[in-house]
Parts: sequence; C-alpha cells; structure tokens
Amino acid sequence: MKLSEDDIRKITLNAINELGEKASPALVKKVVGKAVDDLKSSSLSFPKNDTSSGRVILTAFGLNKPGIVASITKSLGDADCDIHDLSQKLMDDFFTMIMVVDISNSPKDLKGIQDEMSTIAEELKIKIYLQHEDIFRNMHRI
Amino acid sequence: MPYEFEEILETIKMTEIEHFDIRTVTMGISLRDCSDRNLEVTKQRIYEKIMRHGSRHVEMAREVERQFGISIANKRISITPVSIPFDRFKRDEFVEIAKILDKAAEEIGIDYLAGYSALVQKGMTIGERELIASIPFALSETKRICSSVNIGSTKAGINMDAINMMAQVIKDTAEKTKDKDSIGCAKLVVFCNAVEDNPFVAGAFHGISEPEVVLNVGISGPGVVLDAIKEAGMTDLTQLAEVIKKTIFKITRAGELIGRKVAEKHGIDFGIVDISLAPTPAEGDSIADILIAMGVEDVGAPGTTAALAMLNDSVKKAGLMASSAVGGMSGAFIPVSEDQGMIRAVQAGHLSIEKLEAMTAVCSVGLDMIAVPGDTPASTIAGIIADEAAIGMINDKTTAVRIIPAYGKKVGDTVDYGGLLGLAPIMPVSTLRSDNFVLRGGRIPAPMRSLTN
Repeated sequence: MKLSEDDIRKITLNAINELGEKASPALVKKVVGKAVDDLKSSSLSFPKNDTSSGRVILTAFGLNKPGIVASITKSLGDADCDIHDLSQKLMDDFFTMIMVVDISNSPKDLKGIQDEMSTIAEELKIKIYLQHEDIFRNMHRI
Repeated sequence: MPYEFEEILETIKMTEIEHFDIRTVTMGISLRDCSDRNLEVTKQRIYEKIMRHGSRHVEMAREVERQFGISIANKRISITPVSIPFDRFKRDEFVEIAKILDKAAEEIGIDYLAGYSALVQKGMTIGERELIASIPFALSETKRICSSVNIGSTKAGINMDAINMMAQVIKDTAEKTKDKDSIGCAKLVVFCNAVEDNPFVAGAFHGISEPEVVLNVGISGPGVVLDAIKEAGMTDLTQLAEVIKKTIFKITRAGELIGRKVAEKHGIDFGIVDISLAPTPAEGDSIADILIAMGVEDVGAPGTTAALAMLNDSVKKAGLMASSAVGGMSGAFIPVSEDQGMIRAVQAGHLSIEKLEAMTAVCSVGLDMIAVPGDTPASTIAGIIADEAAIGMINDKTTAVRIIPAYGKKVGDTVDYGGLLGLAPIMPVSTLRSDNFVLRGGRIPAPMRSLTN
C-alpha cells in the first residue's frame, strides 16, 4: 500500500495529539512507526471523503505551427500519461487544444509534468496550462 | 469531452485575464492555552504554537495554487483576540507580545497576522484597557501585526467610552507612524458586530467559539463580475442580477474547493468561505468599476447606493447556493485606497465621506481605508465611528471604521502605501463639532431589535 505524504502527515499529527506534553522525538518516531505498520498490515485505509480523480485538464493555445500536438503528446506519452479525451480547434491562425489526461499511473507528479509542459510552451511560444479536473467540476457542475 | 470547450476557456479567462484569485486563505489559531504568569514563558508558548501550526502554511497554499492553476493572493494567520488569554498583562507587556507575534509572522513568511484585538462592546476589563492603550506602540513597533477593537453590537449597544478611547488611539497611532504616512492606522479597525470567522485582514481574529485551529478562505473577483456585466449589455436589472449570481456561484465553488484542499493538507478543519467581493489596487479589479458598468456615471452619483445594494445581495444569494459553509463578512468591500475606481471618484470630488457612509448601510463593511486631514479632532473621529457603529447596531450587520488621520497632511495631499493597501487621497471632513455628544461617554443602550427572545 502506498502512503501519500498527506497520510504520513496525518499520522504524525495524530501522534502529536496523542502524546501531548510527553512527546519526545524518539517517542514520536516509535508511535508513528507503529501506526504506519498497523496501516500497512490491515486492509483498512483512511476514509477518502475526496472523490477527486487523477485527471487533469491540459489547455494549450497560441499561434498555430506544425508540431504542437506532436510535442505535447510525445512528452505525455513518455511520462506514462493516458489521454482520455482531446478536442482541438483552429480559429484563423489561432490554435486551441483541450485535453483530459489521466496522470495517476505516471511516475511524475502534477508539478513534474507542469514543469515539462512549460519547457515545451517556451520552445513553441504557446501557452500551456495544466489544472486538476476538480476546479472545472466545482465551477461548472452542480 | 466531460466539459465544454467554452467552460474550460471561461475558467482560464477568469484566472488569466480577469484577475480572479483567492484573496486570502487564513489560518485561525487559538492561543487560549498559551498564557502564563511569566511573560517570557507566555511568549515562548505563543511562538511555538504559531510555528507548530503555521510554519508550512505558505508552502501548502502554494502547492494547491499550482494544482488548480488559481493563485492565492494572501496567506495569513488570525489568532484569539490577544486581550482574552493575556488579560493579566500590562501595556508594555502587550507590546512585547505583539513583537513575538511579528517575529513568528516574519518567519512563516506571511505579510499580516491579525488578532491583536479586544471585544469591549459592553465594558472593559483591566487587561482590555491596557491592550487598547498599547495599540499605538504595538502598531508602530511591528510590521505585520493588525489590530481590531469591537466597540458595539446589536445585543449590547454602543460603548461610547471605548469609542472615545479608540479615537485617541487612532490619532496616536497616526502620529507614531507619521514617517510612513501614518501606516499604523491602515492596520487598525474599529468594529460594530465583529464576526468571529472573518478571514480578511486587518479585521480578522480567531473568535472564542472557534475550534483549536481552522482554515477560512476569502474569495475575490470584482474583475470577473465586471466583465460579465459588460458582456451582458443593456439588460434590465432583474436579468443583471442573474448575471452577477451566475458568476459569483462559480467563484464561490472555486474558493471553497481551494480552502478545503489547503485545510486537508494541514489536516485541520475547514471553516468558512467568505463570499466578499474584495477589490485590489490593480486596474480592473475594482468595485467602483462594477457600479459604473451597472450604469451610474461615477461612484457617488445618485443611484450608487441602490446599485451597490443589488450587487451585494446578488453576491450573497449566489454564494449561499454555491456553498454550505458561507460565513465571515460576505458582502462587497468598498475600501477607498485599495480600489482604483474609488480613488478616481474621490479625486474628482464625486465621492464624499457622507455618501460612503450611506453606501456602508447596504454592504460590508464600512468606512474603510479613508484618509482624512491630520488635524481632524479626536472627537470628530469618535463621531464618525459612532455614526458607523449605529448603522451596524440598528441594522444587525457588521460595520467598521478604518480611518487614517494622516499626520501633517491636508485635503489635496495623498498617502501612498503601495502594494495591497494602495493610495488614499485626503478627504474633507465636516468641521462641525461633535464633542458635546461623544464626550458624554457611557453607552448607547441596545436597540429594540436586540430583544428577539
């Protein structure tokens, strides 16, 4: 089972609350270690009240030129990102593309992919935004 | 495609072109367990507690910003009103507490920490009197501390003795910070009906009914509303209200999401989303421009109050629908110095303190960031505060006064703080005297509508 940084932080905070004034670095380490082991051995996991997915929305736009889609998709493919949907429009010379991308199987996190995209954006002189899907779900769906 | 092309572009347009951002994520921290007879022990406890909860506040907010592509303009901290846990201390000791708070804020990397406050609407303890006396020193000897004092409420009435004290405190703070355009007064708010979960500095504090630690969020976005109104064209007012509501709905949803995510990262409770439209000095991020787009020639023209009332009400209705955790002030702010359109209206002579006072009757929060001549008597400032408090008390709403009697300046001059505090032209104040009224002291009894049981 994979523990996220947030889970570890939660365990630590719980331990701090539990130990209160008695807490010493060694004691905290012991309690936290036990909590993590317990968690690993049991099939229980933290209740996820959060229904968010690993999907992000990629928006790219700028002046049209050959190779924009190729550069972006190649980089996403190399990072094991799965493209779920793609929509692209050309308004005169203006290129716009929106992609729904699943990054949950990628070894890179959102920040890593964002960094890569900003390099591509700079090379091609276009704008690329990567935002978690939840922001669109919250703003446009009830 | 799960989302329409237009929907995605609309969100990008809001964040990239129309200045939509989250105005503040404010972490409220209770300091009620930090008091000790020994000042040094108390200071140590305060420092440790704030650092324990707040040290990663900025970093976590940045992570969320990046994840959703929406910037969070301010990361701040509010604390229990300092007079409550530390009631035993004297004036100079309170100043020491302010300094340790300032140090913690600096180390966390936030610009403001608020809650150097007292709630004295009904009367004052000895400690509260000492804290109020310490405010001019605390604000002149620290950079990041914001102070507020609640002097009235619908339930308790208006404490005129406290108003008179605060008027003098404001004058003294102006003088003590005269070499920086009396900036101390920009960090000092006098409230009637202060709210306990307000995330907006300078008036924020962590109320006594709040949990140990909580995260509140304040949205912004006048620029988005402005563009929506412009796009709507010449519709009637019913339709215009609809346009405003649709826009605010989306902003509130985004705000709540961001707040919940930051709270989740900290592992603490999410408190409320404050659906106030808060301007910034950036061009296009102005409440005044919205009122002009609604149809008045300039802020101050007849009709301004009605337009503001409609705007404020539409914001509330949309916010309530969008979130079940609405709180704080939740209205439209009209700080003069922080709003390009307001500054222009004052400079053009279109907007007076009296008109602003009328406008505060229909929106949050009050006479905010108003600069007046440095020789304005304390009794006149007390009269202005009393008027504003009366509007709050009778209408069962929050009102506040953040007034800057800019030391050594007169009408025609300006004070310029730069950044979010902006620039304030000195406004003329009535020269008629209020002394014989305000200096009677005592308390204006609570109004009829306090008797609701």
